[in-house]
Amino acid sequence: MSRRQTLALLAVVGICIALYLTLYKIGVIGILSCSVGSCETVNSSRWSMLLGLPIAAWGLGAYVALLLLAMIGSGEERESSVPIARMIVALATWSVLFSAWLTYLELFVIHAICIWCLSSAALWVLIFVLSVADLRAVSRAQ
Amino acid sequence: MADKGVDGGRGRRPGVVSKQRGNSSQRFYVVLALVIVAGALLIVRAARAPRAIANVTTAPVTPAQAEGYLLGNANAPVQIMEFADFECPACGNFAVITEPDVRNRIVNAGLASYRFFDFPLPMHKNSMAASNAAACAADQGKFWEMHDELFRNQPEWNGEATDNPKKLFLGYVKSLGMNTDAWEKCFDAQTHQSRILANQAEGNRRKVQSTPTFVIGTRMIPGAMSYDTFKAYVDSASKEAPATAKVDTAAAKSTAKGATK
Repeated sequence: MSRRQTLALLAVVGICIALYLTLYKIGVIGILSCSVGSCETVNSSRWSMLLGLPIAAWGLGAYVALLLLAMIGSGEERESSVPIARMIVALATWSVLFSAWLTYLELFVIHAICIWCLSSAALWVLIFVLSVADLRAVSRAQ
Repeated sequence: MADKGVDGGRGRRPGVVSKQRGNSSQRFYVVLALVIVAGALLIVRAARAPRAIANVTTAPVTPAQAEGYLLGNANAPVQIMEFADFECPACGNFAVITEPDVRNRIVNAGLASYRFFDFPLPMHKNSMAASNAAACAADQGKFWEMHDELFRNQPEWNGEATDNPKKLFLGYVKSLGMNTDAWEKCFDAQTHQSRILANQAEGNRRKVQSTPTFVIGTRMIPGAMSYDTFKAYVDSASKEAPATAKVDTAAAKSTAKGATK
């Protein structure tokens, strides 16, 4: 499986997490399965909304964008595309920074941990590492 | 000698490469489909889960020792609990700005019952006294009136404003037409201290960490919120409520009227 395909798979995992949290936030899912931490405290805090949308919905958008980029970049013609690799790195960098800020809020402002949010943050770190490896590989091949 | 049909990079023929690539793609799509199906199944399962049973920290109200102070019909389809500290500014804002709408449009409409639980925080010097003041007012059927007076006048009796809140509380007792002697006797003896502590213990049991904290149906929501957000939580809880819990609107209205008079 290529790096881009792995990225696409990780994006789908991220979509599942973000969709789960979004559905909770809009009331479709009543209770979060949260064996560790206080997911409800985090997802009901004032930090759980941004510009009128749940934070999880923004995450969902980022994962969908990653999936699209990774799928397009997995095609035979574009598997060595540097612009696509750069776009994925840019998206991953932004998402890692945003996740770091959210994790800071959980730890030091809300004083509660949401295991799903942390999973998403860890996923973005993994995506970032893979995307940088992908960019280096396709740049070297040029 | 160079072979025309050899892939220079890996020494494989294009046909082989293409076949391998096809196999890899197939594998990828199979794994992708599996992940999507697994994720979708988990989410659908979560959405259909019996919510009240799955809940751990926010069981429906089961008044034992900690019964709070009820407003509305106890059998309404949605049970709301508020854990609040009379001296906390956010609780005051909610009580003054949002709660009137909650009472008129949700509780009096029979959509939900509302229970207030004392959750005096240690950093608020006069909060326990205020809880006692309200509990003694409850003896004369004026808990909610006293509750409203306390929140409305929070700036004048809070721990930073005065060391003697009783004097101010007595003023509210008089203005509400209560028997001041009975109230004072009750207040001085801290007759309802155990009730207040039981309410507080209920909050601790539910891991309340800040005030106000609401339990609406099976959800625990920390922090004050707007009426629209509050109503959305009630609507969501209402959909989860058992179908057997029908609203006795008439009873709800009469109870609520009595309590809010």
